[in-house]
Amino acid sequence: MRRRPRLPPHADTVGSGSGVNRAAARMEVRIGTLLLANPVMPASGCFGPELGSIIDLDRLGALVTKTVFATPRAGNPAHRLGESYAGMLNSVGIPSGGAQSFLDELLPRYAAWSPPTIVSIGGLTVQDYFDVTERLAGADGIDAFEINISCPNLEAGGLEIGAVPETVEEVVRGVVERSPVPVIAKLTPNVTSVGSIARAAEHGGATALSAVNALMGMAIDPRTRRARIGTITAGVTGPAIKPIALRCVWQAAQAVSIPVIGIGGIATADDAVEFLLAGASAVQVGSASFTRPDTMIRLVEELPDRIAAAGARDAGDLVGNVLTEPAAHDLAGVISH
Amino acid sequence: MSESATPAAIAASIELARLPDAGPFAPPLPVPSLLEARVIDNARVGSDYWRLTLDAPRMAEAAQPGQFAMLTLAVAGELAPVLPRPMALYGWDAARGTVDVVYRVVGDGTRRMTGFRGGDRMVAVGPLGRGFIIPPAARHMLLLGRGIGTCSLTALAQLAARRGIVVDAVVSARSPDALVGTDTYRRAGAREVIEVVDTNGSSDVERVAAAVLGRCGDRFDEVYTCGSVRLLGLGATLAAASGASVQVSLEAHMACGLGFCHGCSTGHPGLTREKPLVCADGPVFRHTPTPSAPGAA
Repeated sequence: MRRRPRLPPHADTVGSGSGVNRAAARMEVRIGTLLLANPVMPASGCFGPELGSIIDLDRLGALVTKTVFATPRAGNPAHRLGESYAGMLNSVGIPSGGAQSFLDELLPRYAAWSPPTIVSIGGLTVQDYFDVTERLAGADGIDAFEINISCPNLEAGGLEIGAVPETVEEVVRGVVERSPVPVIAKLTPNVTSVGSIARAAEHGGATALSAVNALMGMAIDPRTRRARIGTITAGVTGPAIKPIALRCVWQAAQAVSIPVIGIGGIATADDAVEFLLAGASAVQVGSASFTRPDTMIRLVEELPDRIAAAGARDAGDLVGNVLTEPAAHDLAGVISH
Repeated sequence: MSESATPAAIAASIELARLPDAGPFAPPLPVPSLLEARVIDNARVGSDYWRLTLDAPRMAEAAQPGQFAMLTLAVAGELAPVLPRPMALYGWDAARGTVDVVYRVVGDGTRRMTGFRGGDRMVAVGPLGRGFIIPPAARHMLLLGRGIGTCSLTALAQLAARRGIVVDAVVSARSPDALVGTDTYRRAGAREVIEVVDTNGSSDVERVAAAVLGRCGDRFDEVYTCGSVRLLGLGATLAAASGASVQVSLEAHMACGLGFCHGCSTGHPGLTREKPLVCADGPVFRHTPTPSAPGAA
């Protein structure tokens, strides 16, 4: 198990809301060799350079592309989107122009911004992941790969690859061997043991993990009897999945000694602090950027204050430092009732 | 094909050519703004219809007919509903800096939207998408709208009338109390406004065709439509007889409105290219009835 750093000496200000050095909380985080100005980045699929027309992407810790496949694909039939209580469903199915089109048309639009670009890669077979890595490896402007071994909406590969430790390790090892840049493995929550998948990715040589991709769900229109989403099942995201995602991040972080990037229902700076405490070194924002396109900017602005309010001087101080002993007043409450 | 299922069905079943980016026929696309717009008014204007007026000067300055805005339904301090709603810009007043949206209450989201009051703030992004294009030589245009779809056409009628173009319009709905847009068309100076409804059979497509031919003539320079597959078919027939083309506005479920989420397109495993994005390639498309293999690269 990963050894946790002790809380800094001013930890007695936890929860006081007025800790020392409140404005001075440092935001830089390191993911392997990647140095990020802050721990806030978009979740793959919920972001594109188009968002740069309404928010300043230079303020983000990193940019994360939509998943790129080696060859072009059309994605899934309509409807691709639906809404659920405090969440949403999607089955977009990763339309992609393929690796060459990505290099020619999309990558330059990411490279126009200063934060490092993390390129999400996908496939339907183990070999597909190696092919797309080979086609993209070495391109100027790719600072890391994130292996999407967790999309719930693909016609093949999703569960067969991402939910089986052996294939996770095989894919990660093959991509790492072909990649000159750090490799992040993005995990699915749709498994019995997140920890065993996390360990497999670590054994495969991943620089870091990101957790989690969408939960699998579905929705039906009770009047028309129709499944609301074209592929019937879909990925559930948004605030509704935050407790589940937080638990997965905690379990993954407990299982490995590499950094974890937290994803799942993060919409506020306090949400991000929760993920840091559960063991995430950085966070990705997905659905909340649809609700309010400036969500990531707000997180960047509010995190220093929220990190200080949690009693830390920098983001790294909080990572994995959730207090798991019952608080004294809780015991008193139990005794007196 | 049911009329209520039209937008996604249209997108999936016919090939649509994207309108040109810019040039003599199209003004350059405006850059959208992210606003926390003040709600000026939000009131019922018909059986299921409400009109929302936002104080949004930058959107009002830039808007073009046929464009839309993404409106966030989550109020300040709340995280849900997660998905904003794409809404056609019904009209705007650049001098006052206001934008109007007319919406129909169809579900939880739009019901929640009726809860916004004057003075509230609403997160809004717009103007978005590629709007209608008025060919420079157009002298007479036909607008075919059904239900809430008419609300994509009203601003077009206003602009066309200001340019001295004769505008004839069909306003179709399930029932008389669901008709929307007639007053706006008349105030804009439309020549004929033909109201048709299902309840008396007047919305039957042959009867609509006869009414159009009888009152509006049979020569149109451009035909515009939104909200109905059958009206699109009628528009295509009438346009073909005039050598005109048809512009159709589509709607689809959307998450971003900007072009990166791909929620508003459709495809199929095994194909190599998805359909155009309703948000960024549309929502207005030129209808090209020539069949072609869907999604073939």
